[in-house]
Amino acid sequence: MPNSEVLMELSGVRKTFGTTEVLHGIDLQITKGSHAVIFGPSGSGKSTVLRCMNLLEEPDVGSIKFLGNEYGPGTGSKSDGKRGKPIELRRKVGMVFQQFNLFPHLSAIDNLALPYKSIRGGSLSDAQERAAHELNKVGLLKFAANYPSQLSGGQQQRVAIARALSLDPELMLFDEPTSALDPELVGEVLSVMRNLAESGMTMVVVTHEMNFAREIGDLNVFMEAGNIVATGGSDFFENCTNQRAQEFIGSVL
Amino acid sequence: MFRQEEGGVAPINFMWHLVWDFRSELLKGLLTAINVSIVALLLSMVVGLIFALARMSRFKVFSIFASFYVNIFRGIPALVSVIWVYFGWSLLFGHNFTVFQAGVIALTLLYSSFFCEIFRSALQAIHKGQREAGMALGLTRGRIFRSIMLPQATKIAIPNIGSMYIGMIKDTSTFAIIGMVEVVRVTQNLNSTYFQPFVLYTAAAGLYVIIAFIVDFIFRNVELNFAYPPQGRIAKFLSRKKKKRIEELMRST
Repeated sequence: MPNSEVLMELSGVRKTFGTTEVLHGIDLQITKGSHAVIFGPSGSGKSTVLRCMNLLEEPDVGSIKFLGNEYGPGTGSKSDGKRGKPIELRRKVGMVFQQFNLFPHLSAIDNLALPYKSIRGGSLSDAQERAAHELNKVGLLKFAANYPSQLSGGQQQRVAIARALSLDPELMLFDEPTSALDPELVGEVLSVMRNLAESGMTMVVVTHEMNFAREIGDLNVFMEAGNIVATGGSDFFENCTNQRAQEFIGSVL
Repeated sequence: MFRQEEGGVAPINFMWHLVWDFRSELLKGLLTAINVSIVALLLSMVVGLIFALARMSRFKVFSIFASFYVNIFRGIPALVSVIWVYFGWSLLFGHNFTVFQAGVIALTLLYSSFFCEIFRSALQAIHKGQREAGMALGLTRGRIFRSIMLPQATKIAIPNIGSMYIGMIKDTSTFAIIGMVEVVRVTQNLNSTYFQPFVLYTAAAGLYVIIAFIVDFIFRNVELNFAYPPQGRIAKFLSRKKKKRIEELMRST
């Protein structure tokens, strides 16, 4: 890992939907520049952990520390962290969804330019210039004027990644970014993510693409039934001692 | 055509030329109907949107109030509403509305309750990922509503708004009772002089039907312009500058 500065720290995060507790106290540290991969069977709470990381789900118990601020209800003990507003965290944490969630009424370039202009201010043409630059990086500049309905799933997901990147996030979250794609479109999205990982972006990826996880993951997290069952470094897939994790990896790979 | 009479048949005299002779009176009546209904349409949409937001509000007081409003005014016939506004208001509060004002208020009271439901269902039809994407980008609630939810909801609502507007024009016919010189009132006046109910009311019906066709045409074009990407000629014309700008950016990036 490039350095060991902790960018985001989850401590004792619990989340309940209705009467079901789906996260039973999650502790996780994301170091700056690291690439964390969360995997596990469906319903294990992977996506919920990710959604807590940008407060789309507010933890019911526990705290999230990010860039010197503390979010969530806290751990109970008097904490010294400064309370932060969710919107400040979200502006520094990019999120990519399984269903892309592009804005269908805006062209690709305006999908980037609208949030950029709204958050950074300035003129629309400045925002579009920045947007064009980001689209170019994911190889989609020539589709700038296209609407999401005129793009393939893989292209839409790349626009979504570019949209999140245009706001210069410190941390990128990926919620099963290739699960809704046709198999032949998965590669183009993974290659954009691979480039991003190589550029040093801190990433947390929830995925079923175990080969990709093995390739980029320097923190591998196996979850089951709302708990983190096993964690490990980049040798996790070879040297994991947890039996459940081994079974899961064996069944998916 | 002939009618059976005692001892033989006598011709019925349909004075179709009356329609042409009094065309300017009829058209003036139609113009009045359109004026009242357009002002009421604009007001109803604004009021309806506010009530839709109130009805979806987290605060129970607002949602209960909005729901009462909708169910009360959705149930009142236009004829009753306009009499109540025009005569009732002046009896209760001593303030006299003009005929035009009374018509606008009566229509707005009724149709804002319909528009409330139209906007509510349109807003709720938008995939929740849209709001989440906006939140994840760090946009404010107001920005998400104005730039993401409202444009998409408007598109969904347009066909219903068109149907409602045709209903509003037809409901102006009841304003004859407070003496508004709209289509039906003009028809009644002519009929009391010439006693040609079949001819005159057929003409009135024809005017309403023609307007319905025109409104349908207009709203269909508006709908095209809200398509993704915009389809109508007007929308293409309006977006041609934007497209040029994007093409320039594509060359320069």
